[in-house]
Amino acid sequence: MVLEATMICIDNSEWMRNGDYSPNRFQAQADAVNLICGAKTQSNPENTVGVLTMAGKGVRVLVTPTSDLGKILACMHGLEIGGEMNLAAGIQVAQLALKHRQNKKQQQRIIVFAGSPVKYDKKVLELIGRKLKKNSVALDIVNFGEEDEEKREKLEALLAAVNNNDSSHIVHVPPGPSALSDVLISTPIFTGDGEGGSGFAAAAAAAAAGGVSGFDFGVDPNLDPELALALRVSMEEERARQEAAAKKAAEEAAKHEKGEQQSTSQDTTMTENVDPGTSEPDKKTHDLTDDENALLQQALAMSMDDSSSTVAVRDTDMSDASADDHDLQLALQLSVQEGAADQSNQTDVNKLLADQSFVSSILTSLPGVDPNDPHVKDLLASMQNQSEPNKEEDKESKEEEKK
Amino acid sequence: MACLHDHSCEEHDCSSDWSLYKHVDLSKVSALNEAVSGSVKSVFRAWEQRLNSSEGYLESNEGDPELIVFIPFTSDVKLKSISIVGGADGTSPAKMRAFINRDGIDFSDAQNMQPVQEWDLVENLQGVLEYQTRYSRFQSVGNITLHFPDNFGGDTTQIHYIGLKGEATQLKRDVVATIVYELMPNPSDHKTRAETGGGLSQVE
Repeated sequence: MVLEATMICIDNSEWMRNGDYSPNRFQAQADAVNLICGAKTQSNPENTVGVLTMAGKGVRVLVTPTSDLGKILACMHGLEIGGEMNLAAGIQVAQLALKHRQNKKQQQRIIVFAGSPVKYDKKVLELIGRKLKKNSVALDIVNFGEEDEEKREKLEALLAAVNNNDSSHIVHVPPGPSALSDVLISTPIFTGDGEGGSGFAAAAAAAAAGGVSGFDFGVDPNLDPELALALRVSMEEERARQEAAAKKAAEEAAKHEKGEQQSTSQDTTMTENVDPGTSEPDKKTHDLTDDENALLQQALAMSMDDSSSTVAVRDTDMSDASADDHDLQLALQLSVQEGAADQSNQTDVNKLLADQSFVSSILTSLPGVDPNDPHVKDLLASMQNQSEPNKEEDKESKEEEKK
Repeated sequence: MACLHDHSCEEHDCSSDWSLYKHVDLSKVSALNEAVSGSVKSVFRAWEQRLNSSEGYLESNEGDPELIVFIPFTSDVKLKSISIVGGADGTSPAKMRAFINRDGIDFSDAQNMQPVQEWDLVENLQGVLEYQTRYSRFQSVGNITLHFPDNFGGDTTQIHYIGLKGEATQLKRDVVATIVYELMPNPSDHKTRAETGGGLSQVE
């Protein structure tokens, strides 16, 4: 909740027409700017944010530091792309704008979006950096867009010159499927030196990722902050545990790759029974507004309960369990290697499909469930992909129970 | 009339003279270009402790000898003289420029503005030298900004102690938290002190 005046320097040069960030670099940048403004003004109501553009006809201050979010969003409208980015002048004008802030008690911060190549040399940038440090101005750099070694070095040198006590940060965002703003949400630029992701950041992350009515877990952090916080913390712990388990499972899978050829039907039955049971803790991340999904979960959970004793007995040793569960390992492998399009995956997918026939056969035996229903199919697909790490976690918890 | 301490201190009781450090608002003291953030607070001590900088001292960043120290007081003070203990090996400051009752002075402001008073300092490692002020100008000091542009050739500037001598009045300055610029002038907002009963007029 540090009291801060921020100037955001936007790159609106020709390089921003490129589409390697969707929809184009400039739009991605604008979204990120909007998010940052919101986060800053929410974390402390007296914070002010200003915006300037570095390219175009020259450095131009669009809005001086203000706490009025509407003004900032309005000025982002109708910006034109063109010209070349002038990094040094942009930072100096930002520093000047901050110097004349109304409330001298605010800390000064500049956030620079560097998307195009940097034409100034390292010495000049370091000089600027030292001047910023001398006047206790912090600097955050978002390096995206054009990638070259020189640019990276120059920006790192600039950061080193400015950095005072880790108050300045640099983030390199390579082009990829996730949006620029999503990547930035988890960085210190948003969370502000580890003061804890603000409620805004968490809500924004949820909205961006899941599209669930803008709030984590359907709880408004403003109405019930402790509950929201408790849910968020337990969710993060869960995720951390899943990741640790997934990593461990990946190692196991690597050891037992292509070792086993037998798969008994009992194995698959147990596998499938373990699946839905362990996917229950994962319920929060699924969209379970669908009644049929809920019913299906309950049905499979009940059948899992019947064989829970056998599951416990069998799972004393992780490696033993993995030796038996050939399908489990393959599925884990698949989920770990997700995204890598190579031949081995294809065979794994085929085996999983074979697996699915077992699943459908089980489902047909259950009353009131139609395996051809699209909801059921979706559920199956998501279960296969997402509950693999949960299997290991469930096994570990069962081991602990046994002990 | 510098107190050169060729007499024993018990008679003179120097420490009570240099007691303005008690009226310094330590939480709001700040410095620009300090190497360690917050180290400036350690330079305000009692007179007896002036050479004891075990708790830290103020040092500027490498290769840059300029320093600005902003000192707000808890009440208005009348400042008689200032004593500075610098560091050895050319790290003592060589010049001092003072600005009164101004907020948020940074290096470009300090270089361009005329100070209220300027002194050439000498290396004063024992803390026996004091620099007198033009007392008439320092009658009601709510905060003072000291700018040290130069040192005696060292790589950094070190300040181990800043002593302030004078009297504290019980008055508090009018503190305006944020200034809101008005769109239209409103005479009732601008009653001068002459109308309400006299006093120094403040020019910001």
